[in-house]
Amino acid sequence: MATHIAPLRKLWALHVLDGNDIHLSLKELYEKLSNGKSGCYWELFEVYKHLRSLGYVVGRHGIPWSVKGQHIKSGTCSLEGSQESNEMLEMEPKDENSVIELFNNMQITDVSPAFNVYLPNSKFRKSSPGDPSFVLYISRCSPPSRVEIEALERKHGAIPFKFCHVENGRVSFFSFAKTELPVLP
Amino acid sequence: MMPRWKGKGLQAKANADPMSKIVSQLQSSLIQFETRGLLSSCSVLVEVDAELADLLNRSCFGRPRITAQEDKQWFQLDMEEAFYLCFSLKCLKVIGEDGSIKSNEELWDYFKSKKLVFPVSYKVYSHLRHKNWVVRSGLQYGVDFVAYRHHPALVHSEYAVLALSEGDNDLNGRLRVWSDVHCTVRLCGSVAKTLLTVIVNSNNQGANSPSCLEHYTVEQRTITRWNPERSREDQTGPKNGTKKGVTRF
Repeated sequence: MATHIAPLRKLWALHVLDGNDIHLSLKELYEKLSNGKSGCYWELFEVYKHLRSLGYVVGRHGIPWSVKGQHIKSGTCSLEGSQESNEMLEMEPKDENSVIELFNNMQITDVSPAFNVYLPNSKFRKSSPGDPSFVLYISRCSPPSRVEIEALERKHGAIPFKFCHVENGRVSFFSFAKTELPVLP
Repeated sequence: MMPRWKGKGLQAKANADPMSKIVSQLQSSLIQFETRGLLSSCSVLVEVDAELADLLNRSCFGRPRITAQEDKQWFQLDMEEAFYLCFSLKCLKVIGEDGSIKSNEELWDYFKSKKLVFPVSYKVYSHLRHKNWVVRSGLQYGVDFVAYRHHPALVHSEYAVLALSEGDNDLNGRLRVWSDVHCTVRLCGSVAKTLLTVIVNSNNQGANSPSCLEHYTVEQRTITRWNPERSREDQTGPKNGTKKGVTRF
């Protein structure tokens, strides 16, 4: 299944084709998203779509970006591009994964990050993506506790992370930053 | 968020008159006049002369009460404020119903009986006051406290503070669900304040006496909403030096 994300003026349109190049209807697409493991593909898709439509580069955390000539692991996402461009963006020809398979086996947990996010104008290159601008966690039930946040800070070091909450089609991002108020004179 | 001074020259005025010095003067005067407060429900009432009234106003402790008296003024102190003056600054003594002076332990028990989370809220109050921030009730903003860099007449408060706890004294129910996070962050933003959570860990010391407080540890975190529509510029920013579009994570 190949996925084309075609910017249509300022709108993103998602055209999904199955293995036989037969165009999937939106209904079929939504059904597939709803049937994902843990039923969480929908939220992942909402967040992914939201950030991509604003021009951010979004990759699945822990999965390397595909590089031409190198073996591509399953689950690799190599979508990139800018909102202004009208060119069709295609997956790597060897890569048969779709947006849905991007989320394959992904589970939303509060402890494993979902995406690496890069700023739209950050001159992103697949061959050397560098550190993401931030790592994104998708929260399912409740806001993270202090203990959970501290564990993540130890894990990610200097790379910031954010939590994303999806409800009613509304995608919100929150940062929980450690601080220390200065001693005043 | 940068401090928003209320007028030109007020930052200089604040710098010339540090809060630590004002509080120190208040402390000396209260001791000198052997000031006594009256315990009254959830407040402590103090009767003071003009000099002390001025110091209480400038250091932002208590609220003046309007009375017909001309030579003296009455101030009403919140529990945290009163306990700070008694226990931390050791410059005030409080008298109970029976006319006797209450010990710190008795005051502690009394305030805890009025407010279950008093140990946590007091730890947060005193932590910020020790750093010379002005701390006032945040009730009208749906938070525990608001913190000012100096007197509220000179500067707007920067932080809306929630005193949260973890450990064996987990009584505060705030920010347990996302809707509360949304609500509180939005409200803080609409009044130009950053939400600051101060998380108190009692380290299993319990709350039997005020001496437990020194074993409590405190961690501060800001909770802010990130807007992807507004943060798209590269962090290195354009070379014309403008700060617009610089993304901070």
